[in-house]
Amino acid sequence: MIRHLFKLIWNRKRSNFLLITEIFFCFLVLFAVLSLIVYNVRNYNKPLGFKHENVWLLTMRPDTDSTALNRQTLEQILQRTKGFQEIESVSLTNSNAPFAFSQMTTNLTYGQKEIKTDQFEVQDDFAEVMQMQVSKGRWFGPADNGAHHKPIVISKALERQLFEGEDPIGKVLPRNDSSSYQVVGVVDHYRPSSEYTAEEPAFFNRIYLPENEDEFYGEILMRVKPGMGVEFEERMVKALSGIGKGWTMEVATLEKMRQNKEKVSKVPMIALAIICGFLILNVALGLFGVLWYNINRRNSEIGLRRAVGASSSQVYRQFIGEVLVLATFGLVLGVAFAIQFPLLQVFDVESTVYFIALGIAVGMIYLLAVGCAFYPSRQAAAIHPAIALHEE
Amino acid sequence: MITLKNIEKVYQTKTIETVALHNVNLHIPKGEFVSVMGPSGCGKSTLLNIMGLLDEPTNGIVEIDGLPISRYKDKELAHIRNQKLGFVFQSYHLINDLSVLDNVELPLLYRTGVSAAETRRLALTALEKVGLSARTKHYPTQLSGGQRQRVAIARALIGQPEIILADEPTGNLDSVMGEEIMNILLNLNRHDGTSIVMVTHDENMAMKTERLIRFFDGQQVSDAKTSAYDYQKV
Repeated sequence: MIRHLFKLIWNRKRSNFLLITEIFFCFLVLFAVLSLIVYNVRNYNKPLGFKHENVWLLTMRPDTDSTALNRQTLEQILQRTKGFQEIESVSLTNSNAPFAFSQMTTNLTYGQKEIKTDQFEVQDDFAEVMQMQVSKGRWFGPADNGAHHKPIVISKALERQLFEGEDPIGKVLPRNDSSSYQVVGVVDHYRPSSEYTAEEPAFFNRIYLPENEDEFYGEILMRVKPGMGVEFEERMVKALSGIGKGWTMEVATLEKMRQNKEKVSKVPMIALAIICGFLILNVALGLFGVLWYNINRRNSEIGLRRAVGASSSQVYRQFIGEVLVLATFGLVLGVAFAIQFPLLQVFDVESTVYFIALGIAVGMIYLLAVGCAFYPSRQAAAIHPAIALHEE
Repeated sequence: MITLKNIEKVYQTKTIETVALHNVNLHIPKGEFVSVMGPSGCGKSTLLNIMGLLDEPTNGIVEIDGLPISRYKDKELAHIRNQKLGFVFQSYHLINDLSVLDNVELPLLYRTGVSAAETRRLALTALEKVGLSARTKHYPTQLSGGQRQRVAIARALIGQPEIILADEPTGNLDSVMGEEIMNILLNLNRHDGTSIVMVTHDENMAMKTERLIRFFDGQQVSDAKTSAYDYQKV
């Protein structure tokens, strides 16, 4: 029977061409949207590499351009924040704090390899603030004061790409003409951009204030004790504003920043899903209409099939089967196109993402086809054979 | 073979009640070639539909091989149609998107336990019987009316039915082609012993069969052996 159905659809390929094309395009759009969704969901389920709960970000904007003066005030503010009992640990950072809309990249070279990587400038207590786990080596600390090479901690993603299996601890990497980095530790993960983005290679560069005299750092990350709220925030800002007179100070929780970033990540997904939903609805209505029309046109054939021995359930199954075969033709074309994405590693996305999206899209198209064929096929099965044969 | 007892068929709408068949009693024994005649609307096709288990009588009993089928379910009726009955229609009812061979194979698609190879062999044999072995790959639209009807007969034959129900098989054909089709049916009846019930408007064709039943206004008005009866029994 399956061979018969394929033969029937193949022989009717001209009249089924539009339907097959419609299924083909519907599959492609579905595949694209599902790839995006699967990509995001998979990223969402991966570890961030840090704990953002109870972490606040204090952003400061000085009112003068005097670096020396600003640095002096900054150090006082830093000391003061450490003095609050409600604050467990503190670290200066750059504008690319977790969930911020800012990124800093640089190239790191090792041997012949050059890798573009995210760079994060942080202090010794950053690992404690973000509760990060070092899987190899150690985090930088006072032991690195006066070290010949600037200590860095790298992420596993960078380790994989740059060292390809070699032990990275102790490796020296050129920084500029006069200085170099030395890898002192490795962290498993670090995905500060958002929960929906893939992990990029990253490394942490040590801020050691006595050696970074010309730099100004406008952000302080602080881990506060659980339960701290607006009351403490107000008290802290008031105290710090007393030191940084005329400075603008803003406090945001990383949780709030995470939510903002989540909204930005979700909007394109939701927009595409809505467009895709309309397209699917359109295809479903088209499919339903064409099937309905085809079945009404084929009354005589239905009557004949009943006469030669088909039961009503066999007629029902035949029409469902025909739609599945029709969908298969559209899907064969669609899959042949879509499979190029994992094969050619398009957009540098893991192949698994494409394969999962492909599987779900195929399943959804079949479900859609069966859903649309359900009622017309039932109608076909209910046609009285004597009446159907008489219509011709 | 097929027995009809007190068959009545009434078509009922909200306003009109039409009696298509009234008190029909018939027995078609194995190997008989029966023709049914009567004016249009007298109930011939309704009779054939009831005999072919495509329609149910309003009252009365239909027996196939002595078994009343009134309580049979759709699946069981389909099984009987597939195993014991063959149909030939005035308008052929071929599927234009399938080749001649595929059209002929159709009944065996609904029969379990027949392999694809066996189906193909039986289809070729049936086409050979109707003289269409050379047209297996053609499509119905590439054939003449007579050839199409021969394909339809081959399709009715493939399942080796005990009885063929033919509804005006020569109705759409000219006299020469009609004659060809009639000869094929007569051969089937004489050589294979297949029972045939044929509805026709053509007196000449009817006279070639063994028995002629006449209908008028849904009632059986005569049932007699024809002059061909003695010839066929010789």
